[in-house]
Amino acid sequence: MLIPDAMGETPHLLLVDDERSIREPLATYLTKQGFRVTQAPDAEQARARLAAYAIDLVVLDIMMPGEDGLSLCRHIRETSDLPVILLTARAEETDRIVGLEMGADDYVVKPFSPRELSARIKVVLRRMQAGGTRQNAPESGAYAFAGRVLKTGERTLVDRDGVSVPLSTGEYNLLLALVGRPRQVLTRDQLLDLTQGREAAAFDRSIDNQISRLRRKIEVDPKSPEIIKTVWGGGYTFAAEVTRL
Amino acid sequence: MTRWPRSLAGQMALLVAVALFVAQAVNFALIVRDRSASRLQQASAIPALRIADAIGREAGGQPIAGDRGRIRRVDTNPIPADLPRRADVAAAVRANLARMGVAAGQVDAAVIHLPPRARDDGGMHTGRRGPRRMLLIAVEQPGHGWLVARAFWPDAGPAILWRLIAQTLVLYIVLLVPVLWLARRISQPLRALTHDAQRFSLGGAAAPVLEAGPADVRAVIAAYNALGVRVRAMLDEKDRMLGALGHDLRTPLAALRVRIESVEDEADRARMADIIQEMNRTLDDILSLARLGRPSEPVTEVDLAALVDAVVEDFRDLGHPVAFEEADRLPVRLRPSLIRRAVRNLIENAVKYGAGAEVTLAPRGGAVAVVVADRGPGIPPDRLADVFEPFTRLENSRNRETGGIGLGLALARAIAREAGGDVSLANRDGGGLEAVLTLPVR
Repeated sequence: MLIPDAMGETPHLLLVDDERSIREPLATYLTKQGFRVTQAPDAEQARARLAAYAIDLVVLDIMMPGEDGLSLCRHIRETSDLPVILLTARAEETDRIVGLEMGADDYVVKPFSPRELSARIKVVLRRMQAGGTRQNAPESGAYAFAGRVLKTGERTLVDRDGVSVPLSTGEYNLLLALVGRPRQVLTRDQLLDLTQGREAAAFDRSIDNQISRLRRKIEVDPKSPEIIKTVWGGGYTFAAEVTRL
Repeated sequence: MTRWPRSLAGQMALLVAVALFVAQAVNFALIVRDRSASRLQQASAIPALRIADAIGREAGGQPIAGDRGRIRRVDTNPIPADLPRRADVAAAVRANLARMGVAAGQVDAAVIHLPPRARDDGGMHTGRRGPRRMLLIAVEQPGHGWLVARAFWPDAGPAILWRLIAQTLVLYIVLLVPVLWLARRISQPLRALTHDAQRFSLGGAAAPVLEAGPADVRAVIAAYNALGVRVRAMLDEKDRMLGALGHDLRTPLAALRVRIESVEDEADRARMADIIQEMNRTLDDILSLARLGRPSEPVTEVDLAALVDAVVEDFRDLGHPVAFEEADRLPVRLRPSLIRRAVRNLIENAVKYGAGAEVTLAPRGGAVAVVVADRGPGIPPDRLADVFEPFTRLENSRNRETGGIGLGLALARAIAREAGGDVSLANRDGGGLEAVLTLPVR
C-alpha cells in the first residue's frame, strides 16, 4: 500500500498527540498504510522534530496540555507550507472554523476512523503534488459569485436576498470544488476526485445528479443554467465571476 | 363588569379612595347629626327666650299685640293644619320654657316655605336668593290663647354635602400624589426585576438589575441578583464538567476506534465501529442538550425548505430511502445547525425504526411543520409522551437491539422549544409513526 510520491519516497508524517493510547496505535496503523511516522507527545517536541526531519504532513491534536494544537498550527503555517490535518475532540462549528482559519488543510473529529484519516492524508498529499503548492486553506473564508456568497466555515450558501440556503454535504463539496476553479472545464472524473476524501461514504450518487440539485439552488432558471454550464463532451464549468472574501 | 385594578399603583389608589370615602362618610354623618342638634337648639332657644320675655313684659304692663312684634298673641293655633309638624322643635321649646318657669299648654311647631325675596319681619332675612324657610312656633297659654313666634330655620341640606365632597376630593388628590409616587417607587424596580427574570438568559454575564426603591425592594433585588450569579456559576460549572466529561470519554473512545482497526474479522470490526459511533453520538447529544440553554450560533434567516432538503439529501447519500417532495423557498429565522440537527434526529429515528421516511413541509397557521413519517412499528399510545424523556426504554422491538431510544427525540424537542416551536409524535393510520416539528414563522 505504498504511496508513490513525486520523488518516489515514502511520505513522512509527524503525529502530534499527547494521548499515548491514541498516538501509538495510530502510528502503527499509518505505518502499515505505508507512511513513515514520527511521533511527538507535545508542541515543544513537535517543533524539535520539525526542525530535525523533512516532514511532509503534520497530524495534530488540538487539545494538548501546554501549547495547544492551534497555536502550533499557526506557527507551522507562518513558517512553512507544510500541510496540517487537525484532530479535534469537538464537532462544533466554532472549532472547525477556528481550526481552518489557523490554516489547517483538513480535520477529523474524534473518534475518527483511521481509514478515513489515512484517506484524507492521501488526498491532501495528492493535492499538494498536483498543485505544487498547497491550496491556500481551501475551507477558510467565503466565495462570492453572482450576488451569492458561499460561506465555507458554516457550509452555507447565502442567496441574493440574504437568506441562508443550507447545502447537503455532497452539494457543498461539489460547489466548493467549482467555485475554487471558475471558468475551468472540469470533467466528471475530476469533480469526483476533487470532492472525494471529505466524507468518504457520500459519493455513490452521480455527479450529474448533484449538479442538477445545485442548479436548482443557485440558478435563476435551472433549465437554462447561467452559472454552472454543461460543456459538450467535456463536463461542467463554473461560468460566474468568483471573488474570494 | 368592572375590573379590579391589578397593578400596585391602581390598587393603592383605589384603596385610598375607598378608605377616604368611608372616613368622610362617618365624618359626614357626625357633622350632620351635630348640625341638626345645634340647629334644633338654636331654633328652639331664641323663640322660647322671647316668649318668656314677652310674658314677663306683659305681666309688667306691656300687652302683646296680635298683629306686630316678634311675639304675637292670637286666639287659635295659627299654624295651618296641612303643614308638616316638627315635634322635635316643639319638644325642645317646651323644655326651654319649662326651664325658665313658663307653663305652657300645647306647643306646636312647623316649617313654612316663604316665597323668594320676600322680606320677613323678624330681621333675620338673609338676602339670599332661593326659597327660604321659617320656623313657626305656637305656644298655648291655657285661657289666654296662643303666642306665636317665628324663627330662622337654617338649611341643613345640599350645601354641607357639596362642601364635604369638595373636601374629600381635595384630600384625595393631596393623598394620591404621594401614594402614587410611592407606588411607582416600589413598582418600577419590581417591574425591572420581572422583566429581567423573564428573559433570564444563561449565556454570558448579564448585567445585574439596578437596586432601586425602598429598602425592602432593594433587598429583594439584591437577593435576586445574588441568586442569578449563583445560578450562572452553577451552570458554568456544569458546562465545564460536561466539557471535561466529553473530552475524557472521547479520548478512550478515539483510542478504541484506532485499535479496532487491527481486528481481522471485517464484520466484527464494523460492528465495533458502529458501537463506538453510537456511544459518540450519545455523548454528542448529552453535550448538546446540556448546552442548549446557551447556544453559540446566532439566529439567521434560512430557507427551511433547502435545510430539510439538504438533510434528506445527506441521508440519501448514505443509501437510506428518504422521500421529500421539493418545496418552495420558505425563509424562517432560526439557528441553522441546531434545527438541522433536530430534523436529522427525527429522520434518523424514522430510518432506524421504520427503515425509511417520508418528509413533508406544511404550513400550519402561523407556523410551519416538518412532518417525518415512517412505516415502522410505531409507539404504544400510552408511551408516546415518555419517549421525549432522555434515555427512555420501551419494552418492545423499538429499542431491543440498540438499548434505548436515547436522547434524539428529547434533543429535537428541546431544540424546537428553544426556537419557540415543538415536536409532537402520533401513530399513523395503517401503522407507523409521524413526528411533527413545528416552528414559528414571523
